[in-house]
Amino acid sequence: MNEQRKDVLDMLAEGKITAEEAEQLIAVLERDQTPPASSLDTRPKGKAKYLRVVVDAIEDDEPTRVNVRVPLQLLRAGVRLAALIPPQALAKATAEMNKSGVPFDLTQLKPEQLEELVEHLDEMIVEVDQSEARVRVFCE
Amino acid sequence: MPQLVTVRVERPDGRPLRIWVPVLPVVLVFSPVVVLAVLGAAVACLVFRVNVARAFGAAWRIVTASPGTRVDVEQGRTAVLVTIR
Repeated sequence: MNEQRKDVLDMLAEGKITAEEAEQLIAVLERDQTPPASSLDTRPKGKAKYLRVVVDAIEDDEPTRVNVRVPLQLLRAGVRLAALIPPQALAKATAEMNKSGVPFDLTQLKPEQLEELVEHLDEMIVEVDQSEARVRVFCE
Repeated sequence: MPQLVTVRVERPDGRPLRIWVPVLPVVLVFSPVVVLAVLGAAVACLVFRVNVARAFGAAWRIVTASPGTRVDVEQGRTAVLVTIR
C-alpha cells in the first residue's frame, strides 16, 4: 500500500474525514498514479507490449483527454481474425472504400503483411500537433 | 483469459460510479446465452464458408489477449475508464 493511500485511510480511521471523502481522495490518487504517456525519447528499449493512443484536445471549451492502451497481442489476434474474412466481403469493402474516395484494395492485403506490420509497430511513432489538439500514437 | 472488467464513470456532479464485472461468474450465469451465441457463430461460419475451428481459435486468442486493455476518456468533469484485467 502506498504512503498517500495509507494516510487517507489513517484519516478515515481517526474520523477526520468521511468514507465518501476518503473514496474521493483515493480516486484522485489512483488517477494521479496512472502511468503517464511515456516520453517518446525516454521510453525503455526492448520488446513493446502495448500500443498507446493519447489525445489531448479542447472540445466545447473543455479539456478532453483520451488515453487508450491496447496489448499488441490483441492486435495480432485481431489480424488473425481479419484473415478469416471471406474474399467476397473484402471485395465489397474495397468497392465501398473506392466509392468514398479511398482507393485501397483490401484483397491485395495479405495476412502475413499485416502480421509483419504489427511486428514492426514498436518502431512507429505518430505525433500530430495542432493548436487545439495533440495526438500521439506509439508503443511501449 | 480476462478475470475482471472495471468500469468507472465520474459524473459532472462529482459522484463516481464504479462497476466491477467478474468475467468468469458472469459467463457462467449467462452460459445458456453463450452456448446459443457460439452455435449461432458456428452456423454463420458455415454459411459464409469460414473455417469454424480457425474462427473460434482466432476469437479465443482475442479473448485471452484482452487483459491489459485500458480505455480512459475524460472531458471536463466527466470521465469514463474501462480496464480489462
